[in-house]
Amino acid sequence: MIGHQMTLIRRELWEHPAIYVAPLATAALVLLGLLTGQVTVSAFGEAVDFGIVIAQNSTELQRTAAITGVLLIVTTLFALGALIVMAFYSLDALYAERKDKSILFWRSLPITDAESVLSKLLTALFVIPLVTLLIAIATHLAILVMTSIWVMMQGGDASHLVWSSAPLADAWVSSLVLAVAMPMWLSPFIGWFLLVSALTKRAPLLMAFMPLFVVPLLEKMSTGTYFFYNAIFVRSFLPPIARFGDISWDSNELPTMPGGDSFSVLAQLDLAGFISSPSLWAGMIVCALFVTAAIYVRRYRDESY
Amino acid sequence: MTSLVSARNVSKSFGSLKAVDNVSFEIEKGKILGLIGPNGAGKTTLLKAMLGLTDCEGELSVLGLDPFRDRKALMQNISFIADVAVLPRWIRVHQLLDFVEATHPNFSRERVEKLLSETKVRRAAKVRELSKGMVTQLHLAIIMAIDAKLLVLDEPTLGLDIIFRKEFYGNLLSDYFDEERTILITTHQVEEIERLLTDIMFIDDGRILLHSPMDALADSYTQLLTSKSHADAARGLGPISENEMFGKTVMLFEGVERSRLEAFGELHTPSVADLFVAKVKGARK
Repeated sequence: MIGHQMTLIRRELWEHPAIYVAPLATAALVLLGLLTGQVTVSAFGEAVDFGIVIAQNSTELQRTAAITGVLLIVTTLFALGALIVMAFYSLDALYAERKDKSILFWRSLPITDAESVLSKLLTALFVIPLVTLLIAIATHLAILVMTSIWVMMQGGDASHLVWSSAPLADAWVSSLVLAVAMPMWLSPFIGWFLLVSALTKRAPLLMAFMPLFVVPLLEKMSTGTYFFYNAIFVRSFLPPIARFGDISWDSNELPTMPGGDSFSVLAQLDLAGFISSPSLWAGMIVCALFVTAAIYVRRYRDESY
Repeated sequence: MTSLVSARNVSKSFGSLKAVDNVSFEIEKGKILGLIGPNGAGKTTLLKAMLGLTDCEGELSVLGLDPFRDRKALMQNISFIADVAVLPRWIRVHQLLDFVEATHPNFSRERVEKLLSETKVRRAAKVRELSKGMVTQLHLAIIMAIDAKLLVLDEPTLGLDIIFRKEFYGNLLSDYFDEERTILITTHQVEEIERLLTDIMFIDDGRILLHSPMDALADSYTQLLTSKSHADAARGLGPISENEMFGKTVMLFEGVERSRLEAFGELHTPSVADLFVAKVKGARK
């Protein structure tokens, strides 16, 4: 069973190279952007020297905050890319095999429909975020190395300015937590996309997204309530995992966080609150229902032969 | 008996259309059965039910299993090739072989490599880069490398040239078939596989018109080539079909002894194709 899953997931990676090509392209863009920035900024010699002096005189906490900010922006970029890949992947996963009729070959092998659909769910839910995270981490390292080289070329002390202040463990562990938690939070969408991909005869993208807008609209018009609007839109943006609401933003200062003299993203994550949130579990049940329906459709539908 | 497939009152409807209409039959181990029927006769639906790809009414058992419920267990001992080309186009040949090797307990990598070494299929090529003939060769090689109790071939050689078709059926007989295996073939080119079959089954309108061992056909069916002058007398014996050819009358008799027909003209054993046409036309009347 587990051996089968590994093989099935490997097949998904063969079929959908976008799973690693998209984050690699993001990495290339980020690093190219950084390099261009470094070359451009280097032209302003005095300003650069001044900047390095400021950096050297700033506190460790401020430098950590600054580097965390940069890493967070980069991570966010990768996360957005992963969300897009996840959506397109889940919409294609059970659609392409019917379109090219390869489903008949896959079903001639001793693999159940449940195993096949499960491998696609696992790929969307875990493989895509984790592959993206690995490439994001490599990009973080590349950014720090490139920045160090640049700082040294400008006569700064890279080990002090960059490495001693880089909160790598914190950034990576918190990214890992988010990379596991966010797909779980958004899993009802993945389940829905898989079901549409198993059902639709054409245009899976349209078929998946149209109801997301039409259903809340119809609800509002018929009953005047906002259940689907809240479930689809409001809920998505409010995962109960971050305590960022507690951060105080002073106008001219870097944000200070609860906890004062340490700067940790991980400390802002409320894992217990997240796991005990009924909304998380409700979402995962909805996902399970959609996926069960997708398995049922793949198993019972006849038109493909 | 060692029944490999056993069907009792099996039906499958799509809305008001009865694709398979209350059929019952047994297929024994060690047979090569040709399933022959016009398009839309219900062949494919019947095959699908036997392969667990669709559910059906009635009792159907394949290798002692309920095909729809136990599809996974069934697929370990069945291999099949569907009538439409179905290998995924994006996959590389070596990936495909790796995948089947990892998921199929009865697949022999050694055997598939040997079969493929006789073709021009490159391991690093993607399926979409192969010619249509090569894709079929690849698919057939995979199917033949599976040690299956039942092999189902639905139009296996569609789109292949005559040389390859001959070669394929030759291999099937010499390298693959033995008394432990059973093969079920559907094809439009009946003439090509006629000599290969041990049994035939005709199906039309969801019903079985004939299910018989090949060597019993000669006993039951006789083709008479007679002149117009004898035709009326021969007609008295009740031919199941009759047509004109080169000024002669060709009649097909079922269950009429040869000795009673000899006087009217030349006697032959009908070809499967002739018999099929006669049976279908007879049933549709």
